[in-house]
Amino acid sequence: MSGMDTAAIADFFDDELAPMVRRMADRPRTGEDSAESEAREIRKMVWQGLIGLDALDASDTAELAELLGSVLYQGPLLDTITARELLPDNDIGEAPVALAVTDEPWSVQDDRITARRAFVGFAAEVDHFLVGGVDGGGLRLALVSAGHPSITMRRYEDTGRGEAYGVEFAGTPVTTCAGSSAEWEGALAKARVRQAAYLVGLAQAALDHAVDHAKTRRQFGQPIGKFQALAFRLSELSMHIDATRLLVRDRDAAAHAAANLAAASDLARTVTTQTMQIHGAAGMLTDNDAQLYYRRAAVEAVRLGTPSQLRRESSQTR
Amino acid sequence: MMPTFTPEQEEFREEVCELLCEDAVRDEIAQARRAPFGQEPGLLDVHRRLGKLGRLATNWPERYGGAGRTIVDKAILTEEMIRHGVPENVHSLGIDIVGNAIHLFGTEEQKERFLPGLARGEITANVLFSEPDVGSDLASLTTRAEPDGENWRLYGRKIYNMKAQHSDFALCAARTSTGPVNFSGITLFLVPLKSIGMIIEPVWNLSEERFDLVTLDGIRVGAEDVLGEVGDGWQVLNDVLPLERTGLDHSAKAERTLTALREHAPPGCEERLAELETRVRAARLLAWRCITDLHEGRPDKVHSATAKWYTSETAKALSVAAVELLGPRALLDARDPEAIAEGLFDASLREAPGLTLAQGSSEIMLFFVAGAKLGLPS
Repeated sequence: MSGMDTAAIADFFDDELAPMVRRMADRPRTGEDSAESEAREIRKMVWQGLIGLDALDASDTAELAELLGSVLYQGPLLDTITARELLPDNDIGEAPVALAVTDEPWSVQDDRITARRAFVGFAAEVDHFLVGGVDGGGLRLALVSAGHPSITMRRYEDTGRGEAYGVEFAGTPVTTCAGSSAEWEGALAKARVRQAAYLVGLAQAALDHAVDHAKTRRQFGQPIGKFQALAFRLSELSMHIDATRLLVRDRDAAAHAAANLAAASDLARTVTTQTMQIHGAAGMLTDNDAQLYYRRAAVEAVRLGTPSQLRRESSQTR
Repeated sequence: MMPTFTPEQEEFREEVCELLCEDAVRDEIAQARRAPFGQEPGLLDVHRRLGKLGRLATNWPERYGGAGRTIVDKAILTEEMIRHGVPENVHSLGIDIVGNAIHLFGTEEQKERFLPGLARGEITANVLFSEPDVGSDLASLTTRAEPDGENWRLYGRKIYNMKAQHSDFALCAARTSTGPVNFSGITLFLVPLKSIGMIIEPVWNLSEERFDLVTLDGIRVGAEDVLGEVGDGWQVLNDVLPLERTGLDHSAKAERTLTALREHAPPGCEERLAELETRVRAARLLAWRCITDLHEGRPDKVHSATAKWYTSETAKALSVAAVELLGPRALLDARDPEAIAEGLFDASLREAPGLTLAQGSSEIMLFFVAGAKLGLPS
């Protein structure tokens, strides 16, 4: 890796861009179609900005992921980094890739894939899918071109209101085979380290939002942050974030990837739930970011396995 | 604790369940859940059916549209309505809060004017308490009522209330005098919502149901619209709000989520489910202890604060746990063709933050128990 550091990307997400990034893949329930195409334009611009800053070659991808979480970035960047790790020799260049890997069956005949994959992110905006599935030979991976007419997709209506799709591959030709089951395990561990870091960044941003509110919102004649019940709760969350960040940043994080991700998942859901409570009903309003953190945490916390699956996996492999 | 239900009460529960299981009722409930966002229904046919049978406000006297039954029967109805998925806010606002406040504190004229319509499911009501800057610290509210001859004119803005768009009138807290003590000088008014001088605007939020921003722009109400005594509203609020807090609605919601969770949870979740199940049982016991208190005429504020805190936190915990155990598919909305449990998990996750805020936040309950039960200095 070329060793691009993330400082330039942190600068990129400045006070003007960050609020747009947070909402660039959030479809308001009462939204208009024009807002959607505008959001797509912003996503395109952010992607180009990140590519221009060599985000795909970041030397510390966990640090990058934490930064992305802190602005609630949504897009194919983390999936693309994982795909590039699995396909070091393949010329996917800087094209966006979506992961569509599960340990569910698929059928591969004459180098054509038939499978259905749920909760694929940004399926409508990527150039390739990295599809995975299980058959007689165990788990295998294949790269396919996203533009092929055999692929159909449907965007979900869900809590996240984002860009999650169910994707159907009906005899989609394989561009290239990519990696064995063991290679996937390794790539998945790294992806989970990044996902955990993303959740730490998300949790920190949600906490910052809650702390700001506690400093300014007055009830009973004082800022609510002066009440120790709230102040101590915020301190406690801050310390939990600190601890989880160290776990995720530790040099053997990949060896504990599943357990760490479960911890980060719990952290993000706890912090965002408390952020809602501290904001009161105002936090529920569509234009308040508290509810956005809460919904994004629900989605991101189970993207690469539920906490119970992750803990089970961790206890079985250690 | 759990009362021992009499055969008559069991029979009442069965009758209610039978009605709620009818195909037409189930269809109506399912349709309500899938209604396009922003088009949530108000009163449903099921309310009117139950109302016509005297079951909706079943504990009110017959002359007010009830059946003269007990609060236990009313609680059975509430529990079964929520278990069967009937959207409950219209009901709890109209009957349990506003209707009950009128039943307890209203004049005979007010009771005759409002209760029969509420009990029959023909009209409904909501509450206008919270303001843009006034939530938990309700005593600091700023909406004012100015004398206008024999009448009053109301000025102010109320937010975070629900169902104003469907309601015929509201129970509104306003300041009739200012003094050194915040909570004196608050008066409760029964205010028509569908009239000039009332502006109702939607406020979109996380949950399935919109909030309303209600602007009172000099609407005129008469002396006959004051509930209780002028300036005594705080006392009524303190007696009414605890009545909302049996926690039965939350315990029934938690139970409903648990039932769906059991049906959909993958193997390996047994221990977690057992833990949640125990918590839900405890929540139900706390709620029914409050019902029993009310039934025996000795409401207990510590019991109700405990029930409100425990049941709402439990219902929230269940919603969060569902995503943890089921993964992304729990997040599918009722309107998604692949939704599980008719989108219950997504809807309850989005409703959950409000449960520990509305009708007295968890912090207010904790504060109250610290002082009133534990005797800690404040």
